[in-house]
Amino acid sequence: MMRKLTCLLALIASPLAAQDFSEGSEARSWNLYAEVPARFEAKVVDVLCELSGDCPDNCGDGARQLGLIRTADDVMVLPMKNSQPAFTGAVAELAPFCGQVIEVDGLMIEDEDLNARNIYLVQRIKAGEADWIKANTWTKKWAEAHPEAAGKGPWFRRDPRIKEVIASEGYLGLGLEADATYAEENF
Amino acid sequence: MRYALPLLLSSLALPATAAEGTRIQVTGEIIDTWCYYSGVMGGPDAVVGSAHHTCALWCSAGGIPVGLLAEDGTVYMVLKIAQDATSASGDTQLSLAAHTVTADGMFYERDGLNYIVVSEVISDMDIVNPTHEDYGTVPPFSFPEPE
Repeated sequence: MMRKLTCLLALIASPLAAQDFSEGSEARSWNLYAEVPARFEAKVVDVLCELSGDCPDNCGDGARQLGLIRTADDVMVLPMKNSQPAFTGAVAELAPFCGQVIEVDGLMIEDEDLNARNIYLVQRIKAGEADWIKANTWTKKWAEAHPEAAGKGPWFRRDPRIKEVIASEGYLGLGLEADATYAEENF
Repeated sequence: MRYALPLLLSSLALPATAAEGTRIQVTGEIIDTWCYYSGVMGGPDAVVGSAHHTCALWCSAGGIPVGLLAEDGTVYMVLKIAQDATSASGDTQLSLAAHTVTADGMFYERDGLNYIVVSEVISDMDIVNPTHEDYGTVPPFSFPEPE
């Protein structure tokens, strides 16, 4: 009986302890303070559905944040970032795999000082027998969805919604007068 | 021992059950969670408020989750605001970038992360944290040099 109890305790404790998922990872460093390479198998889920039971078809078709429920320990990882250094999230990369079990490779952020855990930057994805694909399609999808914003420079300088907010609230968000004062003092 | 095994088995079953929400009211800033947690742009004090407003817009529009940074330092991942469940690049969350708000909603916790489903933004205080006075703009290029 004690042996069974010990096994059960080990099972309970394992998801709580920090596990090492770095084996086999080919994740590229971003030189972040708390980054840890992590490659693991997980199911792609709609986070809001998972928590509250509000479940539209197809994980919300890319409109909702997605989670990765890790096969090894049932932990729900939150992928915040894709592999592009361009202020771009992970949903566009993972949405095609809603409900599927896939393999991902990237960087986990584990920072005790900020209570950051199970936060992830996904760099590549492998679905079934298919080859690994890079998680770097966000800007291409944005360009396809915004032909009216075509032009030079990064997407975030051309995005219509961002430009509209900055035109009315300024870069600092404190109004155009505050922007003018800041520019005068700093340029 | 007689009671230990059933108790342990019920504990094992917990992660598989649906999370149960708790109604809460939180006052805090709508933040860009990636910059806050990753440190990619600097320390946590530099990636909030006016210094980071433009970058917060970029990240929110780019589909990075937004968070509600409460006065006690707790971060709640925002999954829905009123009727807008577009938590990846949604219009409502974009309009609140770097704003301090009081939100009423349901709180969920899973695997060390906090989540909130906001049923109502009770008050929107706009940007109240003039961090540009201490940090400039973060990143600096988020405020382009006037032509």
